[in-house]
Amino acid sequence: MNFRDVELLSAYLDGRLSPSDSKQLESRLASDQNLQVVMDDLRTARGLLRQLPQRRVPHNFTLTPKMAGLKAPEPRVYPTFRFATVLAALLFVITFAVNGFAPIASPRLSAAQAPAIGLGGGCSNCGPSESGTVAPEAPQAFSAIAPTEGLPSTQDNSRNLTSPAVPIVPKAAAPFAANNLPAPISTKAPVPLNWQISLGFIVLICGMTAWLLRLRSEKEFQKRWNKK
Amino acid sequence: MDEPALIQSAQHGDLDAFNSLVLAYQDNLFNTALRILNDEELAADATQDAFLSAFRSINAYRGGSFKAWLMRTVINACYDELRRKKRRPTTPLEPDVDGDEMDTPRWLADPALTPEGQLEADELEHAIQHCLDNLPLEFRTVVVMADLQGLDYSEVAVATRSPLGTIKSRLARARLRLRECLQGFRELLPAAFRLQEEPMR
Repeated sequence: MNFRDVELLSAYLDGRLSPSDSKQLESRLASDQNLQVVMDDLRTARGLLRQLPQRRVPHNFTLTPKMAGLKAPEPRVYPTFRFATVLAALLFVITFAVNGFAPIASPRLSAAQAPAIGLGGGCSNCGPSESGTVAPEAPQAFSAIAPTEGLPSTQDNSRNLTSPAVPIVPKAAAPFAANNLPAPISTKAPVPLNWQISLGFIVLICGMTAWLLRLRSEKEFQKRWNKK
Repeated sequence: MDEPALIQSAQHGDLDAFNSLVLAYQDNLFNTALRILNDEELAADATQDAFLSAFRSINAYRGGSFKAWLMRTVINACYDELRRKKRRPTTPLEPDVDGDEMDTPRWLADPALTPEGQLEADELEHAIQHCLDNLPLEFRTVVVMADLQGLDYSEVAVATRSPLGTIKSRLARARLRLRECLQGFRELLPAAFRLQEEPMR
């Protein structure tokens, strides 16, 4: 007897042998005492295992939505409110940025424009009619605004002007130019405050609505599962 | 229970449908894990992990025996638990007086049995579990699925991802080894299973 016989016996017990193999094995079993003993051994082991009691589970293994990674379904209008909140918040931040940079940007811009407008040094191809139409007072106003910018003295450069023709003075700077006073920087913010307040309000309302919608949906979802 | 319909619903993310399947198979999976691991807590963890893993990968189920497919997940979970246990062995705070990890809970007691009868039944169960523990893991897995859970050869082959011939061979070896081991507990065996006096040649 070899292990192949043991395999045959084991399969025979499980009814996994073909009818012809079963018949052959049965005839051998009838004549071979050792084979019969092994057969009994295997049947005993198999029977003992099959009568082993099944333990009851200590608890149910059902999955909760949290375990399964499931989330409450989003309310239909939730994405709209979320998008509105994000958009309003972005605009809100942008308005602050615009208002914050505006006072810094305007004098720089003026100073950068100064040579072209008031000093006459920035345009080599300009005719006398273009360069000569600048008011001599205007550079003074600019130099008073941005004295630290390292620009050449306006008094010196004003000598280069070919002709002091009809002065072109910005309307706002005119009274200051006449009195030799520096033109004031416009302090009016590009984005009005009431716009910012409105945007902030929209952010709050939309954000709160989205949050409340989500909260209600999650509570309903949880309630539905707890009922089960 | 309309199993194919429940599986299909679960594949579409229906947790209720999947939980119906869990309730139908949790006894099989837990008992398989328990006999392989011989530790109720580890078996419960492995069973829970197996169901979680099954839900996550249920779309990978392509037909055939769902029980065998679930068995594969629990076998994998048991192997993971054994690897974890091997990496971080734990020592009980109190010594295990009986030397048996698997205690028989009170609720399992059969009211029809006398106290002596219950004791004998417990001892027999412990003896069988002891013999199962002494089997190599791959033999234990096969014999637990075939003889304890009643899976047929092809289902065991699916669950263990082994060829049918290997299953036959492992099952025969496992039964032989169990028989040899149980010879040491002859006095515990019920009359119907009294062993032959002659040793196997």
